[in-house]
Formats: sequence, C-alpha cells, structure tokens
Amino acid sequence: MINFRNLMLAGVGILIFVLSGMLAPASDNLLYVTGPCYLKFPEDHGPHPGFRTEWWYYTGNVSDKNGSKFGFQLTFFRSRIDNKSANTQKSSGQVSAWRAQQLILAHAAITEISEKKHHQAERMVRQALDMAGAVRKGDRTHVFLRNWSLDLMPENHIIEADTGDFALELTLVPMKKPVLHGDQGYSRKGQKVESASCYYSFTRLKAQGTMRVGSKTFEVDGYAWMDHEFSTNPLEPDLVGWDWFSIQLDNHTELMAYFLRKKDGTFSDSSSATFVTVSGDSVHLNRSDLDLKTMNTWKSKQSGGNYPSQWRLRIPKLYLELDIEAVVNDQEMKTPETTGVTYWEGSVSVAGFLKGQTVSGMGYMELTGYVKPLDVPM
Amino acid sequence: MTLFRSTNFFFGLFFRFSIRHMAKFPGRALVVLLGISLGAAVFTSVRLSIHASVNAFNQSMEMITGIADRVVTRPGGRVPETLVGPLLNLPYVKSASPFLYTYVQPAITGKSPFLLIGFDPILDRPFRKWQLQNSTQSDQGVWLDLMRFPYSIFAGQPLLDDLGIKPQDGLTLEHVGQSAGFIVLEALSSEGLALVEGGRIAITDIATFQEFTHIWGEVDRIDLLLDSTVSEKQINQIHKMLPEGITLGMPNEDQLSGQRMISAYQLNLSVLSFVSLFVGMFLVYSLVALNAASRRKELAILRSTGASAKLIFFIFIAEGGFIGLVGWLIAIPISSVFAKYLLYGVGETISTLFVRVSVDNLTLSAWEIFVSLGMTMFISVLAAFQPARAAMKVSPKEAMDIGQPAATYRKSSKYLAITGVLFILMVWPLSSIPPPENFPFPGYLATFVLFLGFSMLSPWSLEMVGKIAGPALLHLGKEPAWLAGRYVHSSGMRTAISVGALITAVALFSALVIMVHSFRRTVEIWANQTVAGDIFIRSKMADINRYKDPVSQNAMVFFNNLDEPVDIDIYRRLFLNYGKNLYQFEALKWDVYLQYGSFFWTEGNMKTGLQRLKNGEGVLVSEVFANRTGLGVGNLFQTSIRGTWFELPIIGVVRDYRTQGGVVYYSLEHYQGKTGDLNWGGVRVFFKDREKIPDEAIFQMRNRIIECCGDSVSVTLGTQLREAILKIFDETFAITTILLLIALVVAALGITSTLTVLVLERSRELNTILAVGGSYGQIRAMIFWEAFLMVLTGEFLGILCGIALSYLLVFVINKQSFGWTFLYSMDLKTLVVSYPLIILTALAAAIPAIRMVFKQPPANLLRER
Repeated sequence: MINFRNLMLAGVGILIFVLSGMLAPASDNLLYVTGPCYLKFPEDHGPHPGFRTEWWYYTGNVSDKNGSKFGFQLTFFRSRIDNKSANTQKSSGQVSAWRAQQLILAHAAITEISEKKHHQAERMVRQALDMAGAVRKGDRTHVFLRNWSLDLMPENHIIEADTGDFALELTLVPMKKPVLHGDQGYSRKGQKVESASCYYSFTRLKAQGTMRVGSKTFEVDGYAWMDHEFSTNPLEPDLVGWDWFSIQLDNHTELMAYFLRKKDGTFSDSSSATFVTVSGDSVHLNRSDLDLKTMNTWKSKQSGGNYPSQWRLRIPKLYLELDIEAVVNDQEMKTPETTGVTYWEGSVSVAGFLKGQTVSGMGYMELTGYVKPLDVPM
Repeated sequence: MTLFRSTNFFFGLFFRFSIRHMAKFPGRALVVLLGISLGAAVFTSVRLSIHASVNAFNQSMEMITGIADRVVTRPGGRVPETLVGPLLNLPYVKSASPFLYTYVQPAITGKSPFLLIGFDPILDRPFRKWQLQNSTQSDQGVWLDLMRFPYSIFAGQPLLDDLGIKPQDGLTLEHVGQSAGFIVLEALSSEGLALVEGGRIAITDIATFQEFTHIWGEVDRIDLLLDSTVSEKQINQIHKMLPEGITLGMPNEDQLSGQRMISAYQLNLSVLSFVSLFVGMFLVYSLVALNAASRRKELAILRSTGASAKLIFFIFIAEGGFIGLVGWLIAIPISSVFAKYLLYGVGETISTLFVRVSVDNLTLSAWEIFVSLGMTMFISVLAAFQPARAAMKVSPKEAMDIGQPAATYRKSSKYLAITGVLFILMVWPLSSIPPPENFPFPGYLATFVLFLGFSMLSPWSLEMVGKIAGPALLHLGKEPAWLAGRYVHSSGMRTAISVGALITAVALFSALVIMVHSFRRTVEIWANQTVAGDIFIRSKMADINRYKDPVSQNAMVFFNNLDEPVDIDIYRRLFLNYGKNLYQFEALKWDVYLQYGSFFWTEGNMKTGLQRLKNGEGVLVSEVFANRTGLGVGNLFQTSIRGTWFELPIIGVVRDYRTQGGVVYYSLEHYQGKTGDLNWGGVRVFFKDREKIPDEAIFQMRNRIIECCGDSVSVTLGTQLREAILKIFDETFAITTILLLIALVVAALGITSTLTVLVLERSRELNTILAVGGSYGQIRAMIFWEAFLMVLTGEFLGILCGIALSYLLVFVINKQSFGWTFLYSMDLKTLVVSYPLIILTALAAAIPAIRMVFKQPPANLLRER
C-alpha cells in the first residue's frame, strides 16, 4: 500500500534527527528512499548501511507471576558518518581500525509500573573493532553495542541489555508476520519523493525472559512491539516534534499512529496510522481519519517539558475510540551522553470502544519536541 | 570594653615608645626593613614560581588523567587496541577510553612542538572535559566533526595564537618520519583539556592520530571508568583478562612519579629561598636588641611607673611583628619583580630536567599570602623574642642608677660552646637516619643542627680571639687593635648573633660553591665518559616523547649497511616505573659501548661485572635507581617489560645524572632475545681511531645521515650533546646562584647593622676615649679592627661550617633528594678569591658605623647623663 503521508518517524526518530543534523551535508555515497521498498525477509531485517539512519526498536509491557508490571524499551540505532574516509590515508595506504563509517547507538529503559519508577540508560560507540555493529549472517541479524544486543532470527528475537543498574534479557516470538507501513514499507514523510523511509513492524511479539532492577530479578512475560526503519532524509523543518503510539489491544488487534506537530501546534498532514487486524492484515489510515485530543498533561520538574499524559484518540472510520494514559507520568528520557535530546517514551494503558465493544490494552508512547523544538535541518 | 581600652592603651604606648623611636633613627630601621623585605620577597617569589610550575604540571596531568578509575598500560610498549571491546563488554566497566598522545612539530619555522592527543571522542566523553569556543551546539555532537573530517583538530587558543593561525586554517604537522596537512576546525575554550600545557595542545580523532603517527593496532593506554560498586573480585577479573605484560594500574601513577621528581627540586629551592629570610632574622634581632639595650633607662622608668614586665615584653614582640609586617609589605613589589624572572627560570628548569610544564602566569592564592606573611611575621617575632625577654627583666631600680646600664648575659660562652660542639657532633648520626620517601628531612635537620652548633661556638670563639690575639694585635695594630681585641673578648655574647649570621652566610656560600663545583666536575667527567659517542641518532622529539617512537626503518637499513670505519652502538630506551619510581631501561650493545665509554662504579666489581653484563647475566643500575628503590649489588631487578618477566641480579651501581629517574642498563642482544623487540631507540656512532679522524669526516657522516633519514631522526654530534648537558647544568644553577647572592647581600646588611649597633651602644665610651686624648684615626682604626676580628672569626667558623655542610649537601641531601652523589672536589680558586672579598665587603659594611660614631659632638653625649 502506497501512502506518501505514512511517515513512520514515530518511535525512535529523535536520535536520527539529531545525528542527521550533525551529518547534514548530503553525500553522493548515500542511498535515498525514493519509492516502494520491496522489503524482503530475512534480508531486510539486516542493516542497510548505504542509508544514513536505521533503527531496530523494541518496546513492550510485561509482568511477573506476582503481578508486578513493567514497561521496557531497547532500541539500537545505526547512523552513517558522512566522512571523507576514502581520502584519509594521506601518508600511507593503511587505514586505522578506528576509521568507521557507522555509529551504533542504543537507548534502554525499564518502567516499574507498580513502583512508578523509570530507569534508563544510553550508549553510543563507533562501529569498529567489534565494539559495536549491525550484521546479517544468513537469516540471522545481529546488532550489538558492547554487551547490549539483539538477535533477530526467523523463530524468535533475543534482546539483551545490562546497564549495571538494570538489565533485561527477553526472548520474543513473533505472533504475526511483519507489517509493512506505507507502500510495501515505503513511507513518505514530505512532498519530495526522497523525503521518505522504509518502515515495517512486528506488532505483536510474545515476550518471555528476565528483568533485573538493582539486585531484584523478575521472571516476566507479556507482549512486545518491534519497529525497523531506515532512511536518509531527515524530518521536514516546519515540524517541532511528534507524538507516536504503538497500541496492543486485548482483542489481538494493534494500532500504530504518529502525529507530526507543526510550529503552530497543529498536526501535519503527513501524520498517519496503521491498524492491524487479528489475522495480521493492515489498514492504512490518513491524517483525515484521525482525531487526537490532549486530555491531561504532566510537567517535568527536571526539564520543564509539559507533556500530554492523557489522550483521546478517535478513528471514526474504524469505529474506534481510545483513551490513552501514561501508566507512570515520569518516563522522560534524558540522553546527555549521546544526543542531548530530552523526550518522553513510556508505557501507556488504553481503554475504549471498537465497533461498540469495550476494548482495553497496553502500549508505548513517544513524545518529542516538548522541551525544545527539534532543530532538523533539511 | 575593658579589652578595647587595654588594646588601645597598648598600641598607643607601642606607637609612642617604639614607632617614634624607630622614626628617630630611620636609617637603622630602613636597613633592617630592606633586609627582611628582601628575604620575604625571595621566599615568596620562589614559592610562587615553584607552585605555579607544580600547579601547571598537576593541572595538566589531572586534565589528561580525567576521572579514570584505572588505567590499562603496557610497560615499555603500547596496549593492543583490540582490548577496548572486551573491556567495554564487562558490565562493571562503565566506559573504556583508548588514549594516545605525542608531541608533534608544526611545520612553521621557529615554533616548538606541542602535545597532540588522540582519542575516541565518543568513548572519551565521560572521562575528560573540553568545550569549543563559540559553540552553540555544544551538546549536540561537535565531537563528531573530528570523526567526520579526517586530519582535523581542535586546538587550544594559546597554541593558535602562538602559531599565528585561526580556525579553518590549515596546519602541517610533522611526527618522526611523517608529515601531514591538518585543518583546525575550531578553538577549544579555556577549560578542561584546553588547560593542559597552558593551552598548547590539540585533540584529534584516534583514527587520524593512528594514521598520522603510523601507530597501528595499539594505543598508549586505555582508561577505565568503573561502576561505583565494583568489587576487588571484579578488579581481579579485569587483571585476569589482560594478556601477559599488560597491567591495570591507578591513573595518577605518571602524575605521582612526576611529582616525586619535581618535589626534591621544589624542596631544595624552597629551603634555599628560606635562607635569605633566615639571615634577615638576624637583622631584626639586632635592631630590636639595640632598641632594648639602648633604652634600658626608659624601660626602667616605665616599669617604675607601673608598666608590667608582660607589657614591656609584648611591646618588643610587637616591634618585631611591626618590622615583619612592614618588611612584608615592602616585599610585595619586590616579589612581583623577582617572581617575573623566577617564573620563567623555574618553569624552564623543571621542563628541562624533569617534566614538561607550561607556565604563563602566577596565581596568588589566599594560602600563599598567608604563608608568606605568616612566615615573615613568625621569623620577625621569633627574632624579637630574646631581646623582648631581656627587656622585660629590666628592674625598676635601674631608673635611679647613674651610669650607662648594660645588659647582663646569663649563660657563659663556655657553656654555649660545649652545647655547640655537642650539636656539631650530632650532625653525622642525624644525617645517617634513613629519610622518609624522597624527603631529605634528616639531611635538613642535620644542617640546622650544624648551623646552630657553629653559631653557639661564636661567643666563645670571639672571646678566644680577643684573648689569644691580644699580644699579636698590640704588635700589629698598636693600641686600637689591642682595644678592639679587648672589646671583642668582652662583647662576645652581644656580637655573637651577628657573627652567627655571618657564619650562616659564609657557610652556605662555601658549601654551595663546593657542591656546585663537585657536581659540575662530576657531570663533566660523566658526560665525557658515559655519554660517549661521536654522533647520536634518535627519533625526532624522542626526548619529549620519552622514546615512545622507535628509530625509523630506513634509518635502521642505513646503519645496517654502513661501511664506514665506525662502530655502531644500538640501544633501546624505555621509560618505565619501578614501583612508584620512574626509571629508564636501556638495553645497549655492551661490546661496542665499552670500547669507547665507561661508567663510574660506586658499587660492585667492575672487572668481573663487565663480562657478566656482556653475557646478559645481570643489570647495571644507576646510583639514583639504587637509592630510590633501595636495591643494590646482589639484589634482584624484577619487572615485566613488554610482557616478558625479567629477574636479573644487579651487578653494579654506577653514577648517572639523568634527571628523569634512574637508569637500568642491560644487554641489547639478550633483551631482544627475551622480548623479541627489535626496535631501536637510538644509535651511538663511534669513529674508530677517533684521534686520526678529522672533524670533517664526522660532519660528513652527520650530513649523510640527515640526507638519508633526516625526516624521521634527529642527529646530534657528541660534542654538541655534551656541551648541551653542561649548559643545562649551568642554567639550572643560575637560580641557585642568584638566591645565594641575595642571602649574602642580606648578610652584609646584617654586618652593617651589627657594627652600627655596637658603635652606637658604645658611643659614650668612644667619645670618652676621644675626650681623654684618643684621635679620630685611632678610634676608626679600633672599629675597623673590631670589624676585622668579628668578620675573621665569623668567616673562619663559616668556612669550617661550610666544609661540613658541603659534605652534607654532596653525600646526604643530594642523595636523599635526588638519589645521586658526586665526587667531592673543592673549588679552591673561587674560595681563595672569595674569602678576602667577603672580608673586604664586611669591612666596607663597617663604614656607616664609623661615620655614626662622631655624628654627635662628644660634649653633648657626655652631658646627657
């Protein structure tokens, strides 16, 4: 399905925007997304180093046998450094092993919902000397950054991160096939054809494994969500940020929706959503199909950002109305060591109606540009 | 209220009694103030200059060290970069940062090398702070530009100013054999890393650094930031995962070893600077003592009208304090002039001898002001203590006495002399006490006791001189000389303090002259025998880069194929730490070296030792290494170098005067066999039959080497190198000489002041002589004879004390401070010329005193009572 407005910058875009800003000058060596992506798996689970940015984004909600609930996020980013590395060897033919073309970044977070605590960590390393990398070998995609990693295999995905303060080790089994957003994954984000990305999601993964917070370890299970996206062009400059949702309803349907916010406070026409049926079929939704209202806000004492904490999302076309609420207000992510961007990313609970039936569920929400507008040069 | 009134009364009295009196005799007070202010100025400016250098060094090291908890290094080599990944994977390692640094030469004529740091700007972010000037996107990845633009740098503003370039300009840099064009992306703002070496620094990405320097696959060190809860077990796990030869140490080891090297110099210069202040103390004593002695009548009246002894005591203590305070205030402008010159001199000396420092300006801390003022006040008050005590004992009855009252001295000169001898006898055992780490406390204590002992000898000596020399004096100088002898005999105690000052100054002068002469002579012999070679070759900037970069391949090929009538001694030099002590490990070709060079053996059997050294059966260590580590002949030298364990007996101990730690010599052949390290640190070229070879041949050889490998190696002629060593030596002691001269000036002021005091004390007596028929000439001659006898006694005792002190300096203090000793050698020529000069100067210092005698008409003086 082709839909140029289906820009799926939701989720992880922050880092990409920042790094894109840093890597602003376009390079002839870069590849651009200009049309249908014709994604093929398992090949396209792997890295696409010709594009400027790429991410593998895992979020989810799990609980242990005692009913303790947790939200989690583990994201790996690949960002191509726009250097002139071909000209580096000035006085000899040898190139340093540190001369890298890619950076690997990662953000990890666990929300202890019952305790109303949010733990976070960030990392960044150049892709060199086996410190970090994104590789595909056969049908296995391996992305790693120090001792954080993801293994994406046909039967399951394994994600691991140990930050010292907290850790997670989860096995994720896909319950539906990958959902391609836009036109076979080709997701437009602006007027130009190259203002687009390739984007697909695993909207429901059965999650099982362990989580550790401090010295306490929990055996957990639940559901996870995975996004994989790559692109070269960054977000258009008239946007200040976005609100992104990944919702898993109890009736085994899912909804991905993002709203790109403009400087005047309205949502861009590029905002869109994808609804996934029980069988895994997807329904693309345009901006005109979506109605989102802020019902409540929460102000961060640390950053001063005034974030929406409760929303009402209406999609008349699907007879869907959902109240979305942050399960813990303070799930603000601060990333001074990697990007310096402050954003909100966390677990949400959902309740509402679908075709007259009550529905509920859990999900993840990402809110950017609330502390300061994202500076996103084209 | 009562306290206020008392204080008010005290200062009122102090002003009327002491200040007015001082103002009445401004010349006297000015001499003392000049002396104490000179002392305070020297003390303060030396302290400030040294501290500026030490602070600059510490700041540089701290900025370079960053906040690392541990550091992974490889003694004698570099660390494989592949270790970074595994270290980063350990959950208790928060971050690991590979770090490289070297001095590079900008390709701009006349500009000196600067420090280039190479790191991964991402991994290094938690460790070291730096910021760019005019950066609006400071937190959003300016660091990435270093990765985006190969061969780019961020540079400190002082460096850019020095090089005359600005951001976005190009800059060609040279390192060993490489040269490359860089672009200066931006200037670093003056904080964090940009404070290293006073801002003469640049940073670049690790990839650029490696490609430029050709250091492939290795880094100088890996800094680690550990989790705060890391356990010993986890630290041990890190140890275990490191390959053999790679060590996990504390991050400030380099800083500590640097500090240890500077500290001895710092301490010795501080002590020397204190001497002027110490000599100034005698001046304060003489003035306060004069005031107390000449005003006994007034003191007695004060006492009889109700002033307590305590009040009198504190008035004189306050007098000392006042002199100290005013002297210190006068010292401020003098200090600023001294410090300006010393700052550069001390910084250069430390850079040349020990560690590189870049000092631009002084920072005046509240602590330094406190120490300077506090020490000056303390010295002045201490000097006033004895006269104040004497003054408080003035009896109110003296108010009614007729005649000039005189102070009485309790202690006999004999008793003092015996105590003095006992003190002198204690010097040797005191100096033999093992010192705490690098701190020559026993040596200094022995020196203090020595000065004290000789000063205590002075009253008795003066008495003896006056007594024994009496007949001879009568014969030589008639009545004036005889009377002078009598006076010196009877006034021993009164003049003793001033003679003590002279003893101190002469002793210090003699001892330093002997020490510097011995040191220079020994270094000269060492330079000619041990620093042997006709041409020296090493990598460019090998000295400042501590021989990290071996001699280039093309140079090795050149020397291997050399068919000239020369012998080639190849050596490998590594800067390592043995415990806390930095030392140089040098593997050399014994059979070649020993044909042309030799060592001063202080321990061990040279005859058998040399063969054992050639066989690689042990090591030869320098005296500095032996004294620093406590190891000697028969002990084992045990260490790991480049992953190979060395356990070798120490065959001999030799003199060596390299300032950057001790030296351990070993056979190159065996070193290469053990470690597989075939790199060359440098080459010494020896011409066979040197006497028959014209200098031209050596120049030609030098030119050939430059032609072949001049881009990567520096070539120095042996004669030039040896001259340079002696030049550095002389420059180093320039500061010492200046400080010594200032101490002598203060001592001369002391003599002037003392003689004046003595003359003034006896003005009535001298005028009586005049009244009863003595001529002006006779009285002048008498005072000259007095001065001569005092100076002679002081000088004689000073010389004896100086000889003893010179032994302490050469064999105790230098050993305890720097680890070396020298061949003892008297500079008779300088001493023979200097001693009469000192006597003449001292006699010249008597002139103001003589002029003072007849300032008032005799009738007036006699009428006063």
